[in-house]
Order: sequence, then C-alpha cells, then structure tokens
Amino acid sequence: MTDEQRMLADMAGELFATLGPAATMAENWAAIEEVALAGLLLPEEAGGFGGSWEDALVVFRLAGFHAVALPVVEAAIAAGISGRAEGRGTIASGGEGALEGGKFTGTVTGACFAQGCDYLVAPAPDGGSMILATGDAAIELHDSIAGEPRERLVCDAIAVEHIAADVFALGALARVAQIAGALDAALEKSVTYANERQQFGKPLAKFQAVQQNLATFACEAAAANCAAMGAAQAMARGDAPFEIAAAKLRANRAVGTGTALAHQVHGAIGFTEEYPLHPLTRRLWAWRSEFGNDAFWSGHLGKTIAERGADAFWPDLTALTG
Amino acid sequence: MPAGKVTVQTFVTEPLAWPETAPDLRAQVRALVAEHGIDDPVKRANCWTKPDPAFSRKLGEAGLIGMTWPKEYGGHERSAMERYVVLEELLAAGAPVGAHWIADRQTGSLLLRYGSEAEKRRWVPGMARGEIYACIGLSEPNSGSDLASVRTSARRDGDGWVISGQKVWTTNAHNAHVMIALVRSVAGSQRNEGLSQFVIPMDAPGVTVKPIIDLTGGHDFNEVWLEDVRLPASALVGEEGNGWQQVTAELSLERSGPERYLSSMALFIELVRFAEGAQSESLRALVARLAAETWTLRLMSASVASKIARGEDPALEATMVKDLGNSFEQAMPELVQAAVDCDPAGPEPLGLVLGHLLQMSPSFSLRGGTREILKGIIARGLGLR
Repeated sequence: MTDEQRMLADMAGELFATLGPAATMAENWAAIEEVALAGLLLPEEAGGFGGSWEDALVVFRLAGFHAVALPVVEAAIAAGISGRAEGRGTIASGGEGALEGGKFTGTVTGACFAQGCDYLVAPAPDGGSMILATGDAAIELHDSIAGEPRERLVCDAIAVEHIAADVFALGALARVAQIAGALDAALEKSVTYANERQQFGKPLAKFQAVQQNLATFACEAAAANCAAMGAAQAMARGDAPFEIAAAKLRANRAVGTGTALAHQVHGAIGFTEEYPLHPLTRRLWAWRSEFGNDAFWSGHLGKTIAERGADAFWPDLTALTG
Repeated sequence: MPAGKVTVQTFVTEPLAWPETAPDLRAQVRALVAEHGIDDPVKRANCWTKPDPAFSRKLGEAGLIGMTWPKEYGGHERSAMERYVVLEELLAAGAPVGAHWIADRQTGSLLLRYGSEAEKRRWVPGMARGEIYACIGLSEPNSGSDLASVRTSARRDGDGWVISGQKVWTTNAHNAHVMIALVRSVAGSQRNEGLSQFVIPMDAPGVTVKPIIDLTGGHDFNEVWLEDVRLPASALVGEEGNGWQQVTAELSLERSGPERYLSSMALFIELVRFAEGAQSESLRALVARLAAETWTLRLMSASVASKIARGEDPALEATMVKDLGNSFEQAMPELVQAAVDCDPAGPEPLGLVLGHLLQMSPSFSLRGGTREILKGIIARGLGLR
C-alpha cells in the first residue's frame, strides 16, 4: 500500500466501522458526503479525489469488510464514470429495452439504492452504459436477500446520455473487492469465536477438524483478495475484460466455501438474527449473483478462451502482466 | 489497533511488478522448448519430475539454470523474478526439467548460502551447466511428515564424519550426483535439536540406491542406504546442530514455486484444444473455471516469489499457495473426466494425459509437505491452536 492508500484505509476503515450494517440513508449518508468518498474515482479537475482502481479497491474492500449498509461503492463508480461531481449517483446491473435517438424505453433492474438518488448509470442495451435521471422513471422497490435496496425502474422514452464505460464489468469488480473484504471479516469473526468458545473443556480452536476448516477458509479468502488485487491492478492500467471475469468467478467460488465454513464454525449462534455474522454472509450470497453469476462470466470467458485456442492460452495469460 | 483494521492478515496482497526483461525471457524459453520438441503430451504433464539431461544441458548453456547465483560459481546474477518467469514458462510448456530441478530450486542455493568453499566449488558450477543433479535426503522409513524424528546419524571420525542410516521416498536419487541429507549429529539428541546437513556424493562408497516403483510403473522415488559413508569435514553444510533451521528455510523454497500449481497444466491445454471445436457450453464453463483458478494462482504464486526476492520469508503465504495449488492440480483430472467422454487409456492425447494425471495426482498433496501438515501451519498462522 502507498502512504496515500494507508491514509485512505485508516479514514474509511474508521468511518465504516462506526456505520456498519445498521447505517441508514436518512441518518448516515451525510457522513459519507462529508468526507467526499463518492468522488474517489472522479478526476481531480472535476472536483474529485482522482483515485485509481487500486485506491478504489482499498475503500471497496473495507466497505465489504464492515458490511456498510450505504451505497458508497455504487456512488463512487457512478461519479467516476459519469464525471459528475454534483448529486448522488448510483449504478444498476441490468438495462433491457431499446435505446433510440437518445431515449430509452425498457426496464432497469438491480438498481442499487436508486430511490432518492439524482442519476443512475445502467448497462445500455447495445453495449456501453447509459446515464438517466432517476426522477424520470417509475421506481418499483425491491431488496436483495441481504436487505439492500435493488430497485427496478420502468422507463418510457426517457432521455439518457450514452457513455462507453462498461458499468456492468465495473460493478463486478466492485463486488469482487467487497467479497474479499467480507470474507476476511467473516474469517476474523470465525477465528475469534473458535479461540473463545469452549467445548469438551477446551477452545474449539484446539480441535484439528476446526483448525483444518479454518485453514481452508483462510486460503479461499486469500484467493479472493488476490483476485481482487489482480483485477484492480489490471483496471488501473486500462481495460480488464479477462481479469474481471476471472476475478468474479474466483471470488464467487470463495463465497461458497467461506460462508459455509463461517457458519459451521459458529454453530447455531451464527444462525441467529442477533449475532453479527449474517450481515456478512447474506451480503456475500447476494453479491455472488450481482453483476454476473458464475454462468454469466464463465460463458463469457470460456467462449473467449475456446475461440483463441489451446496454444494461445498461456501466451495470452502472460501477456496480461508482461 | 484502530477501528476497522484487519487483524487476521494471512496473505498480504500488493500490486505485482514483473521484470522488464520478461518478454525476452519468455521468447527465449519458448524457442528453446520448440527446438527441443516434446511430442508426447504425457511427458508434458507433471513435467518437473521428468528427467532429460540433454534438455538440462541445453538450459544450462542458455544461462537458464542457477540464474540468481553469483557468476563466480557459474551463475548468472539475474533477479529472482527473472528466474520465476523462466520457471513458469518451462512448466507451462511441459518442458522436461526433472533432472536439474532440485539442484536449481534449492540445493545450489543452500550450498551457496551454507556450504564450505570446497563443496561450493565442487558442485555449484556443474549444477549451473545442467550437468550435476541433486536429491534431498529428508524422509526416512519411520520419519515422514514427522521430520524431526530422523535417525540417520553422523559421528565424528578424525577430521571427518561417518554417516549411517537410511533415507526413503528420495526423488531423483537415481539421477543425482549429490544428496544433501538431514542427519542427527549429536547422539541421543531429541527432536529438532542436534540435527545437521551434509553433502553426500552419490558415488561415495557405502551409498546404495534402490528404486521404488510407483503405481503407474514409473520410477521417481528411491530408497537410499547410507552404510558408514565417510565424508571430509568440508561436507558439513552450515553449522553443526543448525540443520533444522536450515531445512525449514529450504522448505520455503521447496514449497513456494510455480510447480505447485502447474503440474496439470498440460491437461488444461488439451482440454482447451478439445473445447475449441465443440460448441459445448458446459465444457466452456469448465474451461473458464479452471482458467480463473490458474489466473488467480499465478498471481498468488508470483506474489510469494516477489516477496522472497525482496528478502522476506512469506512462509505462511507460500503454504497457502501450495495448498490451494495442489488442490487445484489434483481436482482437474476428476473434473475433466466428468466433463469429457474420453478413454483415460488413450489413444487420444486428452485421454492419455488425463489417465496419467488421474494416477499421479494423489502424490501432489503428499510431496513437499502433506495437505494436513500445510493446513496445520496455516492454522497456527491464523492464531489457532
């Protein structure tokens, strides 16, 4: 981490820890605005922080780690790719319909905390993204299984601005970063619990079966974190279609093993509403679907690799990093 | 600790920097491999156990063995990451690097760090030429994962030493010119105390090598008898009694390389070849899943290498990469067998490689530290126990 990233991590980490999964838009969004985190990816000349995707990874990962119930990640991406410094923006994972003459008719799905936001960036029907004023569309409320707002917007010939940036891929990259953070948090909770909880006269941590499960969990969390770093580093250099696909696939796999073992180690208490494991695990399950599940990204990546052919695989892979 | 600080930090992720010379090195290795030609796809699988002295000498001539060693001892004073690039290229191509692999990976470096001047001069330049090969004398008949229970002894005899005992599962002993053995030099010492490392020429009187044939009929392992093998004082490697510390450092080198996830790469390449023509979504999904895993493991493995290059000892991270890597290269044959209808007995190349790896892959999570031992190390790193 650079010194600047360390400062960013300290600031965001401290703030996110106090906000956590209990935060609400009405009570707490002002705290995010106060530190201008939405301007993280916005160029300095546009009034932003001018951060890279590696800087964004630091913040997004911590948002996942603390299960912050605010659209920090989404606001930062929306501002970054739209270039807008004013108003709250957010992103969506789906946009189906027709875009003609700068007007979009259709539905936007998987909009993150869209209610009350000023503008929204959604995938455009024929590639790229479209920016629309949320007030122009009819909003249908919907929450993810983790209770995070994921609205549906019905659009009837509303004016949109088309941009080249791929909001879907960037949303996937953000989810990988959040998954990496949330897995580390769930691992930390599980290790702490195993060291504290006594059964048969000794801590759970003394049982080899529990140790081996947590070691497996740690490897998966490490893989998700390395995948996030690899994709962010690639994105910081420019474009990262291979890396984002691979990272989302790898992170999604880590979610399965990680959440299962976190709950297994915690036993029944981890399954209660009262115990703070589910804000992490339920988000992890939701994020696994969002911005491309395994079938989506593997279809995409598998097609590319098969078309390039067996003898191109290794040269292509190494060409990504030099 | 400030709020929000991650306390369980197992794998420090950071951006990777690859050497500027990487593209040239890749081109050099690819040309060498193409020129040598590896027609049999089975030979490309698990290739770092496939000896081919002619290829080793070719690599030596090209300056691709002992890359980081001092020029004074035949090395080439390249960076550790340059060496990493060469290793991953060789493994991905399925090059037959088995003869010199151990000498290049650990024995040469160990001798350069701890060996006497006489032993360094005797062995290391030949290793760098790809002519001198090594084996590692660790396991014994009653000492497998529990390495601290070794019983092979070294007793003083005038200025020199006499070694007596037996080593087993010794990979490459039948091709090797030299072994570095961990033995008990203090009679009656317990566990990891009183252990020392010695350089043993494989043609020394009293050294006998007997093959152990594996379940495929292959010969990789050996039993090595050491019957009153007389060694000069210079054969002691490092300090007497410091063997355990030296071996632990050596194990970090042994566990951290790209060979710990690339052993099944030949099967993946054949799978992609099969998927090229087949318009099968399920096959492509499998290709993508394995490619995503390969991409991630490559970053993790290179990250460990770059930390070692900076003089850090990322022992925990290396252990995690080996565990994940072994699980990956072990899972691949089963996944391919489930997805593709092909006979593992051949004659199609995909089937032949599959059949070979199905049978060889159980050893992947045994060699260089069993899965159970690795997970124990990771658990301790997490602060459990």
